[in-house]
Amino acid sequence: MLLLDYHNVLIHSLLTERFSGSTPVSIDQVVSDFDGVTFHLSTPESKTKILISIQVKCFRELVQYGAQQVLEREYGPYIVDPEPGYDFSVLIDLENLPAEQEEKHNLIMRLALMKRNAMAAPFERAFDEFAKLSEEASRYTTESAPQGVKEGGEVMAIHYREEEAIYIKASHDRVTVIFSTVFREETDRIFGKVFLQEFVDARRRVLTLQNAPQVLFRNDPPLELAGVPGLQNVNDGTLSYVTFVLFPRHLTPQRRYENISHIQIFRDYFHYHIKASKAYIHTRMRKRTADFLQVLNRARPENEERERKTASGRTFRVQG
Amino acid sequence: MSTSLRPYLQCVRSSLSAALAISNFASQTSERHNVPEIEAASSPELLLNPLVISRNSDERTFIEPSVNSVRVSLKVKQADEIEHILVHKFARFLTQRADAFLILRRKPVEGYDISFLITNFHTEAMLKHKIVDFVIEFMEEVDKEISEMKLFLNARARFVAESFLTPFD
Amino acid sequence: MAQLNYRTINIDVLDPDSSINFPMDTLLPATLPAPTTSSAAAAVAGEVRQLLRGGDPEAALRHVLDTAPLGGDERAKEVHLAAVTEVLQGIRQGEMSRVLEGVCTGEGGAGRADCLMKYLYKGMASPVSNQTPRKSVSPQNTGFSQIQGRNLGEGGGGQQMSVLLSWHEKLVELVGTGSIVRVMTDRRTV
Repeated sequence: MLLLDYHNVLIHSLLTERFSGSTPVSIDQVVSDFDGVTFHLSTPESKTKILISIQVKCFRELVQYGAQQVLEREYGPYIVDPEPGYDFSVLIDLENLPAEQEEKHNLIMRLALMKRNAMAAPFERAFDEFAKLSEEASRYTTESAPQGVKEGGEVMAIHYREEEAIYIKASHDRVTVIFSTVFREETDRIFGKVFLQEFVDARRRVLTLQNAPQVLFRNDPPLELAGVPGLQNVNDGTLSYVTFVLFPRHLTPQRRYENISHIQIFRDYFHYHIKASKAYIHTRMRKRTADFLQVLNRARPENEERERKTASGRTFRVQG
Repeated sequence: MSTSLRPYLQCVRSSLSAALAISNFASQTSERHNVPEIEAASSPELLLNPLVISRNSDERTFIEPSVNSVRVSLKVKQADEIEHILVHKFARFLTQRADAFLILRRKPVEGYDISFLITNFHTEAMLKHKIVDFVIEFMEEVDKEISEMKLFLNARARFVAESFLTPFD
Repeated sequence: MAQLNYRTINIDVLDPDSSINFPMDTLLPATLPAPTTSSAAAAVAGEVRQLLRGGDPEAALRHVLDTAPLGGDERAKEVHLAAVTEVLQGIRQGEMSRVLEGVCTGEGGAGRADCLMKYLYKGMASPVSNQTPRKSVSPQNTGFSQIQGRNLGEGGGGQQMSVLLSWHEKLVELVGTGSIVRVMTDRRTV
């Protein structure tokens, strides 16, 4: 598995089973997702009515950037009042599902993508803003552009984890997405650096990636974030900022959906592969250690305790 | 194999063979004790002149002989941060399994990455030249392993980065 | 003083009869050459350089080993080490075996072999001189050259060490490991 899925597989499989027309059962399940997102699937009223709730750490920020509208667009008729302790809930009536198989699959997928959709709001807003700004900018030459157009929109900050955040900024010719990421441990920090360096170099090195977003990384806050409150400037190397520069061709309406999903998964993908590398190196060391032990054991003289037989061919066995 | 590796290992081999001329020697300071004198360091006349064998300023072997024990410390080449962390991890992994390795010291001597402590009991129970073989093979393999791990890490990083960026096209 | 924790005091050190206070001087033979100074060592280095330039590496090596300042102070030993290293580096790879055979045979040949062995180890133990100081851990390579083998670049002092290592190999071939044992046990350090 190289790339991670955008949707939550557990929700997907659970709903697929429920939607397939098997006998309704009561459900009460808490499902975790990346970035501390929690889902709660339950059947509070009757076995045919499934309530799906999501809790996101930065939901308040997301609402500020239009998450409610995005979610209403995606889940319109199913939305109910949020379950206590959660940020957003939908209620699915199993007796009232879309008739078409196609439609059903569609709905399942949409529900499994709830985290993606909630997080997508600021991205969508930035993409819209870009469209507006680029249209405005096309009416000016570079010199005569008014302040607002030249500088682009405000920086949207999403503090989706305890110490890490995504910053999104739209300009008239690009959308900049900045991930701040923290490495607590020395090993992670160095592995992360190796990986990030390759992200930066990939575009320059591989011809087919010429059209990919530009990636930059640095340890101090990039210039785009100047003036954003709450930035710690601890330059001890634990904090890295990864900048993705999305160019107009990534922002077209056709590419938009896919690219928002993909860029969201960056942090999880990145950390997943760091951990996978560590695991692999660990197994290698285990194997190598076994080899070393074998070599060392060669140093022991042949074990004298070979099976000794009596004249009649019976063997002694040490008791105990 | 780099050309200077062979004389280096050869030198370690002959020095170690010479240093492993050790015999049982009971402690002079506490009765009925028998401790590795190189660790106890309670009697200066029992400690011999330590030997250093260097390949270059990053790779060297430190042999500290005494009457009944020899301490061998290795410094593995670490050219950059990745190698440093890999060597550190590997050394830690090995020392945690020091019990199985018998001659592995649980803590490396300061300034070195990994140490062995060979006592007269080890040379009595095991074949001396095979112990030397082990140390030599260990030195070779550790170097190779670190190189391979580093190459793997870079290759994986490259592949991962390219795969992530491809869908954007 | 009342705070002093008497349990942490190593009383063995205070006991003149304790093994830790073993009189190390008694291990030195009485025939130790007279103490020399760094200026004497420098004079020897000059003579040796003369011999080396005169095209007689064997005599140079013989002389420098015969005049080892076994009883000298640290400074003298250092100067002499530099002289020995110079001689060793001045002898070509192809001539090593011939020179060694000449030096290690004849009267006092075994002593010279042991002395050379001492210098080889001392040379490897001493921090590499006249090399630019290396950073402890350089930041990793970035860019296109990130993927590469490890053993491409030699660390600092690789050249000097490989000379000493090949001398060591040749010497062990000639006189065996006994010489190494004598380096470890001989209290007369160079």
